[in-house]
Amino acid sequence: MHLPPAITKQPEINAAVSDVVRLLAPDVVHIRYDIGQDWSGDWAIFFRVLLSDEASKTRLREVATQVVWRLAERLDFASMGLFPYHNFRSVSEQAALREETWA
Amino acid sequence: MSFPDDLLEQAYDLANKEPTNPKQASLRRAVSTAYYALFHLLIDEAVGKWSVQRQRSILARTFEHGKMKGICDDVLKIVKSGGTIPPELNTVASNFIQLQQHRYTADYDNSKQWSRTDVLNVLSLAKDAFTAWRAISSEDVAQDYLLQLFLPKLSRQ
Repeated sequence: MHLPPAITKQPEINAAVSDVVRLLAPDVVHIRYDIGQDWSGDWAIFFRVLLSDEASKTRLREVATQVVWRLAERLDFASMGLFPYHNFRSVSEQAALREETWA
Repeated sequence: MSFPDDLLEQAYDLANKEPTNPKQASLRRAVSTAYYALFHLLIDEAVGKWSVQRQRSILARTFEHGKMKGICDDVLKIVKSGGTIPPELNTVASNFIQLQQHRYTADYDNSKQWSRTDVLNVLSLAKDAFTAWRAISSEDVAQDYLLQLFLPKLSRQ
């Protein structure tokens, strides 16, 4: 089974994610991710971005764009053989939905 | 308003249908509708070039989701390698791929719980793609992109 080069780059990805969270706090609370295949079978990285309630309600597009750009600045997804997808959720939404993968 | 614009408006209506505790059904349909809004925007633009109006709906049915993703991937690769692609076309291609995946998840993955924040962000991808497309739709590079979406994939010589 073919695996993307990113499988060996998780420390680099973790460092970039931590950096972006630090930079965009308190709007960004944390970022989780998984590497897997998208609907077409291509390799992808799926980011789950937890936002503060205020950022989610008043500056969603602005903060979401910042997250996408800051991650792309630090990680060369194309050379890792990945396409990045992003999902966003607020703290209060996560408190209601209580999904472990977002915790 | 055009059909794609109506779909995008409907996506927003669905996303905001329940003021509190949005139903997963409303959120999922909003995501799926947003993807199809962009899908139909591009298809309508492409088949609108065909002069025999009664044949346009037949042509519209020949577009394939996977093929369209591949063409969008090609656009992003050109940008990555330093090729000259307008940023608006980059936005259309990138957001199309994002929307396609979100639509697939919304339609088929019942384990995924959607939040309104997530859905509103997905809808803004579609809205931004509409704006970007309309800013460049008359340019040659945009017309060539439409042709690629429609043509069978040709091997490089």
